[in-house]
Amino acid sequence: MPCFLRQTVPATRRETIALLGAMAASTISARAQQKTTPVIGYLGSESPEPYGSRLAAFAEGLAEAGYVDGRNVAIDFRWAEGQYSRLPALAMDLADRQVTVMVAPGGAEVALAARSATKTIPIVFEMGGDPVALGLVASLSRPGGNLTGVSSLSVEVSLKRLEFMSELFPAARTFAVAVNPRSPTSASQSRNLQAAASSLGLELRLLNASSEPELETLFAAVSLMQPPGLIFTSDPYFAYRSRRLAELAVRHKVPAITQARDFPNAGGLMSYGGDFRQSHRHTGIYAGRIIKGEKPSDLPVQRVTKVELFVNLKAAGQLGLTVPPSILSSADVVIE
Amino acid sequence: MTQPPSAPRSSLFAKYFIALFAAVVVPLLVAGGSEAWFGHHDQKARLNDLLEAEARSAAAKIQDFLDGIRDQLVWTVQLPWSDGADERRRLDAFRLLRQVPAVVSLTLVDATGRERLFISRMGLNKIEGGTDHSASPALRNVSPGGAWYGPVTFHAGSEPFLTIAVAGTRSAVGVAVAEVNLKLIWDVISAIRVGRTGSAFVLDQPGRLIAHPDISLVLRADQTAIRPLQALRARIAAQSGQATSGRDIGGHMVLAAMAPIPGVDWSVVVKQPVAEAFAPIYAALWRTGAFLIVGAGLAAALAYWLTQRMIEPIRVLEEGVARIGAGQFDHRIDIATGDEFERLATRFNEMAGDLAVSQERSERIGRLKRFLAPQVAELVDRSGDDSVLDGRRIEVVVVFGDLRGFTAFSARAEPEIVMSFLSEYYDALDRVVIDHGATLTHFSGDGMMVLINAPVSRPDPALCAVNMARDMQKTVQSLLRDRQTLDHRLGFGVGLAMGPATVGRIGSEGRLEYTAIGTVVNLASRLCASAGNAEILVDMAAAEAAGGRAPLVELDARVLQGFDRPIRVFAADEAATG
Repeated sequence: MPCFLRQTVPATRRETIALLGAMAASTISARAQQKTTPVIGYLGSESPEPYGSRLAAFAEGLAEAGYVDGRNVAIDFRWAEGQYSRLPALAMDLADRQVTVMVAPGGAEVALAARSATKTIPIVFEMGGDPVALGLVASLSRPGGNLTGVSSLSVEVSLKRLEFMSELFPAARTFAVAVNPRSPTSASQSRNLQAAASSLGLELRLLNASSEPELETLFAAVSLMQPPGLIFTSDPYFAYRSRRLAELAVRHKVPAITQARDFPNAGGLMSYGGDFRQSHRHTGIYAGRIIKGEKPSDLPVQRVTKVELFVNLKAAGQLGLTVPPSILSSADVVIE
Repeated sequence: MTQPPSAPRSSLFAKYFIALFAAVVVPLLVAGGSEAWFGHHDQKARLNDLLEAEARSAAAKIQDFLDGIRDQLVWTVQLPWSDGADERRRLDAFRLLRQVPAVVSLTLVDATGRERLFISRMGLNKIEGGTDHSASPALRNVSPGGAWYGPVTFHAGSEPFLTIAVAGTRSAVGVAVAEVNLKLIWDVISAIRVGRTGSAFVLDQPGRLIAHPDISLVLRADQTAIRPLQALRARIAAQSGQATSGRDIGGHMVLAAMAPIPGVDWSVVVKQPVAEAFAPIYAALWRTGAFLIVGAGLAAALAYWLTQRMIEPIRVLEEGVARIGAGQFDHRIDIATGDEFERLATRFNEMAGDLAVSQERSERIGRLKRFLAPQVAELVDRSGDDSVLDGRRIEVVVVFGDLRGFTAFSARAEPEIVMSFLSEYYDALDRVVIDHGATLTHFSGDGMMVLINAPVSRPDPALCAVNMARDMQKTVQSLLRDRQTLDHRLGFGVGLAMGPATVGRIGSEGRLEYTAIGTVVNLASRLCASAGNAEILVDMAAAEAAGGRAPLVELDARVLQGFDRPIRVFAADEAATG
């Protein structure tokens, strides 16, 4: 009888002590885990306000991967307030803080600044250009280093903006192109545009602008052209100033096309570019997956699948333009 | 008997537990095992059907995705080409691109294979480009009114693309060739859920991953990483399309089924984790396990309870039996369980009572034996009852015998010699008495009294008495002859008489004798006293009873002390006996 009892007694005292010890250890480790909440270092080229819709998309993607800011992840923001020269220092700051993952959305400058700050902390970029051409990753399928991210295709489709403008002004032979000379992609975009222009039999007038006063003078110059068609190259500096550009376009009565939908939404004429909500959402997903332990080198660079054309018919009316059916048929969103 | 019994080899508890455990657990095991076994089979068959249906449904969804694009393309190849630029067709193409996000570019070629229109999301559109496409695989392979699906290519080694060509029913309408970004299948594939966590993926004919809920796996285009998925497809193919189990990329065991997409020669594989698929079976097994534990517990509890119920009466019985065994016959085992134990206890109590009675009797007999003549005691012992000793009136023959001249001999001889002679004398007589079935009731000094027919009844007591008396004479006379050197003056006389007498025990508890009281005793005693050496005197009653069977000679009537009239006396003729 005693023999039997001994078999059924579930745990000896030693086992019980071990069990209690394990339980205590697990609660301790759980507490330790709570203490070391992963931190996302978020490097922004502007201020939070123009980033609003992008941040929302980023948070959405992060939540899809299972992380919510303030609950199981902390986001440490660094804003360059439009002064791109500050980006490297801000990136270094985040690297010094040993964040879990660095998120560098909003263009090549931010990505390059992040890369120069660390070789070990995973970096998730979001940009319009080709990360391979910029030397950020070895290839799209196998990024290789500590970087991966999302390309919004906006840089690639610059020439399509020229095509749409030419569609709008079939008779025009010369168009103005706004270029941010500080942008790492300005040279390649200019080159692509020139090639496209020559194949379309057009001429381009490249105008540089990398500051507020320069934008003023740019619009003033374009408004004197006949017709005053203006194409913006893809650049975060322009993208984050969509509202300002729309104001200037309205004021100077300049038909313009940019990469960001914010522009026609704010009263500009047209936009054609990658869906930034998609790109920022994917950035959030990748940040979450890296926090979960995946290596950036295993996460291929994603390209957005959606390139969208926005047309503001109200703006067209104010400019006295008739939007041809070809553009209307292609438009994803027509603002009336 | 009083020492504690050795420890039992196995306990009641263990026996009960084994029996009850078997009673509880064996049916449970059988039921649970068969439930799990048949459930597993049923579930497997059901899962096969379910997964195959899921695979077909997933394949249909992917097919729908491709068919949707094809159907859109069909609209662009309805009308024959004119010579000039076709604005309406251009607008249709723009609309198609807007309508079908997966189409990255669209090329329309006329009957001669010349490119008439090229519309792209990324690059510049071309009108009347004029490039000759007639040698391209799309145009060479597409049949009129049909569709052709090209091989999957990975742009920049990452994004999967597919060329779809659709030809009009007449050659004049030309062919539409679309580049399709297969990344957009993700919307379809990620929406497919098999069970709770199961999913689907798509492999093309060479085994490249085209669609997977984890898009990064597709974009990585890493053949080694997706080897488990290829192996899974190979396993299903080896099972001739039957659902089978294997490991997915994470190394988890999954059940998988496959369905083909005919036009593109792709395979859609749906998989569900085995743990989830067989969750009901595992749940049943866990349930059975839990029941087994509960059953074992129940069996133990019942066994303990039953054992306790058994052990207490057994202990009382054991203790009681030990006490009774130790001679405590007044002990009574008190068990009121109303069952066999109580009956057993009652039996033990009855036994104890019987033992008490029997012991009392044997004690009494033992006591009697100490004080009774050995023959009487033996008789009592044999009959097991001392009621034979109870007083009663019966016809007896009383025989007296004593030595002549013994008093003078005892005064002369040494006491040792006297005692040794007496001892021999009594031993010899005792043997004779026993031989004749008589009872030696009393002896004192040299005299003795023997009863015949009491307490043991004998047939023909008179003849027996005469014969015994003659044997006594013979024995004693031969004894005296051997002792002649001691004293010539010793002799032995016998007297016997027959008649009714009161026989029975007399005396106190500590000093008991069996004897006879009555005239016949006196008569026998007087006849003995009257008899000379070697003489046997018989009264008339005994002589008459013996009849002519014993040689008796009537002597002159004698006046005996205590008797008013002379008594007729017979003598057993010594010589006649030879």
